[in-house]
Amino acid sequence: MSEPSWGLWGTWEETEACLGKVVGQSTGPDPVERGSIRRWLEPKEFACDIHTDAESARAAGYDDLIAPASMVFTYGIAPYWSPGDKPAAIDDEPTQIQIPVIFDVPAPCDKSFATSVEVEFFEPLYPGDVVTCTSRLVDIKHKELKVGKGAFLRQEDTYTKQTGEVVAVAYLDIFRFVAVDNA
Amino acid sequence: MQISKIQVGDTLPEISIPITLQRLVMEAGANRDLSLIHHDTKVAQATGAPDAFANTFFLIGMFERLMREWAGPLARIRKIGPLRMMIFNAVGDTVQFKGVVESVDAASGRVSLDMWVESERGKTVTSKAVLELKD
Repeated sequence: MSEPSWGLWGTWEETEACLGKVVGQSTGPDPVERGSIRRWLEPKEFACDIHTDAESARAAGYDDLIAPASMVFTYGIAPYWSPGDKPAAIDDEPTQIQIPVIFDVPAPCDKSFATSVEVEFFEPLYPGDVVTCTSRLVDIKHKELKVGKGAFLRQEDTYTKQTGEVVAVAYLDIFRFVAVDNA
Repeated sequence: MQISKIQVGDTLPEISIPITLQRLVMEAGANRDLSLIHHDTKVAQATGAPDAFANTFFLIGMFERLMREWAGPLARIRKIGPLRMMIFNAVGDTVQFKGVVESVDAASGRVSLDMWVESERGKTVTSKAVLELKD
């Protein structure tokens, strides 16, 4: 197994060229349904009828049961494998969650981590809804931290459903850097 | 929960949950963040973490649980964040999710919360949140 990648290599000029642009888009392969909701609630020991029972959700003013608001992230993630993809080999680079400002925006950095996230919720997610996430690079702030020198990249993710309605807008701050001992 | 009964400083019933590798694996499968740092000890330790550690989706989802258990099914969850991760929530830790009411706006029905996570390592995560309630 090779080492996981911590970001796409490039120059700061190439990073700047991505500012304000769409840097990634993904559509979740699975519509909202009660099985995936239950499996998401399970490791959190989260019991709430509006996510599992349509009658309880209607009593709370919804049309049907709703997915937990923060499940929008999960439903917007692209599949890790699809029919037609090449078979995996043991020395392939491990598949990671796709974060466009790490893996699709070039920067002269070999490490990265998330520092902050915020998300605002709008329309609820009902069974059958399919989620698309569109990512833009909206800010670049150069900074030197204890771990190394690099920049904070801010990713704006707009989550929409098949009707075009906005479900959520999230902002993710990623610090991309060269570690002190490699600088 | 009715907005007329909420006061600034009210505390949310806290949640305590142990972080085990099994829980992290269940969580990764369910939330689809399959990054190795969240279920592979060696890869996590290579990044400076003590062990595999809870991912952001788990933390946000647990804050949603904290809000939902306090506010009830009629509350609309409007915003979570800015959420800041300061210390790892790693395998072997028991973490507590806590929150307090920061402001109440009866006219709009909006309630702002200050929430955080604690473990033996200290305050590991902080987050703000907003929910909407009616009487």
